[in-house]
Amino acid sequence: MNLARPFGLIVRREIVERARSRAFIWSSVFTILIVLAVILVPGLLGGRPEQVRIGTVGEGNDPIVAAATRIAEEDPEAEIEVSAVRFADEEEARRALEEGDVDLVLVDGVRLLVPAEGFMGGGSGERLVTAAATAVEIDRLAAAGEVDTVRLLVEGPLRREVVGEGEQGDPGRFVVAYGGLVLMYVAVLTYGMWTLSGVTEEKASRVVEILLVAVPPRLLLAGKVVGIGSLGLAQFTVTIGAALVALQATSSFELPAVSVGQAVILVLWFLLGYALYAVMFGTAGALVSRPEDAQTAAFPFTVVAVLGFFVSFQVLDDPTGPVAVAGTLIPLSAPFVVPIRHAMEAIPLWQSVAAVVSTVAVILGLVRLGGRVYAGGLLRYRGRVGWREAFRSAEF
Amino acid sequence: MLELHDLRKTYGTVVALDGCSFRVEPGRITGFLGPNGAGKTTTMRAIFGLVSLDEGTVLWQGRPVDLATRLRFGYMPEERGLYPRMKIADQLVYLGRIHGMDGAEARSEAARWLNELGLGDRASDPVESLSQGNQQRVQLAAALIHRPDLAVLDEPFSGLDPIGVDRLSATLAAEAERGAAVLFSSHQLDLVEDLCDDVVIIHRGRVVAEGPVDHIRGSSPHRVLEIDADGFDPAAMERRDGVVKVERRAGVWRVWVRSDLDMGSLVAAAGEASQVRHLSYGPPHLSDVFRELVA
Repeated sequence: MNLARPFGLIVRREIVERARSRAFIWSSVFTILIVLAVILVPGLLGGRPEQVRIGTVGEGNDPIVAAATRIAEEDPEAEIEVSAVRFADEEEARRALEEGDVDLVLVDGVRLLVPAEGFMGGGSGERLVTAAATAVEIDRLAAAGEVDTVRLLVEGPLRREVVGEGEQGDPGRFVVAYGGLVLMYVAVLTYGMWTLSGVTEEKASRVVEILLVAVPPRLLLAGKVVGIGSLGLAQFTVTIGAALVALQATSSFELPAVSVGQAVILVLWFLLGYALYAVMFGTAGALVSRPEDAQTAAFPFTVVAVLGFFVSFQVLDDPTGPVAVAGTLIPLSAPFVVPIRHAMEAIPLWQSVAAVVSTVAVILGLVRLGGRVYAGGLLRYRGRVGWREAFRSAEF
Repeated sequence: MLELHDLRKTYGTVVALDGCSFRVEPGRITGFLGPNGAGKTTTMRAIFGLVSLDEGTVLWQGRPVDLATRLRFGYMPEERGLYPRMKIADQLVYLGRIHGMDGAEARSEAARWLNELGLGDRASDPVESLSQGNQQRVQLAAALIHRPDLAVLDEPFSGLDPIGVDRLSATLAAEAERGAAVLFSSHQLDLVEDLCDDVVIIHRGRVVAEGPVDHIRGSSPHRVLEIDADGFDPAAMERRDGVVKVERRAGVWRVWVRSDLDMGSLVAAAGEASQVRHLSYGPPHLSDVFRELVA
C-alpha cells in the first residue's frame, strides 16, 4: 500500500495547524523581537565605554599616552577610556600583557607589544595608540623640520611585536561555533517539545485511535516529527535571517564568513539533532495520558540534551581532545559537538562521516523502537505507562 | 461480510476474549451487547488491528483485514476525541482524506454532513467550541464521511438526548440502507431491540447469543404474559404449574412462564380478573433475555 499519501497528509496537517495556531505565531514574533532587541538595544542605548589599558616601560611613552587620551576624548562617539600602568621592566610588562592585565605595552616610546590575536582580537586599542604615536612623531619631526611622511607611513611610528601564542583558530570560527551550539540546543529542545506536546495532544484528545485505524503508528510518529521539524526549520531560518539583517544594519559586529559547506553541515546537523531528540520526545509523549505529565516523561531526554550542551563547552576549548572525539562518536551528543568542530575546522573526515552514519543509524533504530513503544502507549489512557510495559504491550 | 473467528486475548491474568466468534452482514444493523468488561471494546479494537490477538482471525469478504481494507471501515471509538483546536470542516476533510478520499470529494462530503447535522454555519469553528452533544455528532460524521463498507461504533448513543437518539438511529438506518454493515455496542437494550436487525451478546469474552432480534427473543425458554387489570391475584397465579415468577413493573403484572406452557389456560386464568386494561403474551424483551444470559 502506498504510504506516501497519508504521510504527506500528516506532515501537511502538522505544518498548517501549528502555523495557524496563536501560540506559534506569537512565539515566532516574540523570538524575533527578543533576538532583534538583543542586537539593537545595546547600540541604541550606547554601550559601555571600551577600556584601553596601556602598560608603559621606560621613557618617552608619556606623550603617546597623552595623545591617545586626547584623541579618545576628542571623539566622544568612539567611547574609549584610556588608562596607563607603569612597569619597572619589560619582563613584568610582558607578563601583565599575557595575563590580560593590560591591552598593550609601549616600550621607550618606540616599540609596541600587542597580544596574539584572541577571540576579541587586538582591535581599537592598537589603532588608537598607533594613531597617537603617529601624531606625536609628526609633531616631533615637524619641530625638527624633517617630516618624511612616506617613511612614517611605510614603517609606522612604532615597531610592533606580538606577545604570546594566542588561541587556536580565528575568532570568526569561534563565533560561528558558539552561536551554532546555542542555536542547536535551543532548536532541539524547542522543537522536540513541540513534538512531545503534539503526541500528547493526540493521545489526550483520543483522536489517535481513529488515526491508527488508517495509519501505522510509526508513520504517524514520523509524519509528526517531519512536519514539526519543517516548520521549526522555517521558523529557525526566519529568526536567524532577521538576526543577520539586524547585525548588518547596525554594523555592531563583523560577521564571520561562513562557507556554503559549513552552512550545509549546520543545517544537516540541525535536522539530525532535531530528528534524534524529536523521536525520543515523541515516544515519551505516547506514555502519558495528560499533557501536564509530558514534561516529566521527557525529563531523561532533556537531561541528556543539557549534558550534550555542557560537554560542548569543553569542545569549544579543546576541539580535538578526547572529549571532542567521544562527543562526536556518541550520537546523543554528536548534534552539539560535530557542528562546533566543523566550524573550528577541527574534525577529521572519518570522524565526521562516522558521526553522521552512527546518528542516522540511531535515529532509524529509535523510530523502530520508539514506534513500538509509541504504539504500546498510545491506546492506554489511564495513568502513565512504563517504557518496558509499553514496549511489551505494543499491539501493532 | 465481517467474520470473527475464535478471537482470544488475555491481558496478564485477565481473559478479555475467550473464543469470540460472530458475523456482521452488509445492509444490516447489528447490536453488540454485553455487560461492562465483557470484551466489547477489545473485540471492536481487534477488528481494526488495534489489539494483537493471541489467537483468532478477523475476515472481511473472506480475506484477512489489512491496512488497505481498514481504510474502507469507519470507527467511532468508545474514547471519543478529535483535535480540539482544529476547525470542524478541516478535521472532517483530513479524516476523509486519511481514509483515501480525494480533496474535493472529502470537502463536499464534509459540507454535506455538517449541513445534515445542522452545523453548516459552524464549519470554521474549532471542535472544542461545540457542545458535548454536537461534538459527538461531528465524531459520527468523522467515522462515516468516507462512506465505509463497515461502520463500527462503540457506545454511539451514550450521552445523547432523545432527539439525538432518534437522529442517530435514522443515520444508522440510512447507512445500512446504503449497504454498509453496521455494528454498534450499547447498553440501551430497548433501543437495540427497536433498531437492530441482528444482535450479538457477549459475556466473559464469549458470544452467548447471536442472530436476528426476534430469533434471540424467541430462543428464550420463557414467555411473558403482561396484564394490567383489577382483581388480578399474583399469588394465585404464581402457584400455577409452569409459572416461573410474577413481577410488577411499570404498573403492569408480568407473568413469567415456561415457553411450552399452554397459552389458552393461562390467558383464561388471567382473564378471570375484571377490568382488563392491557393483556399481552409473547417472548421476553431483549433486555430480559440479556439478563437471563449474563446473570
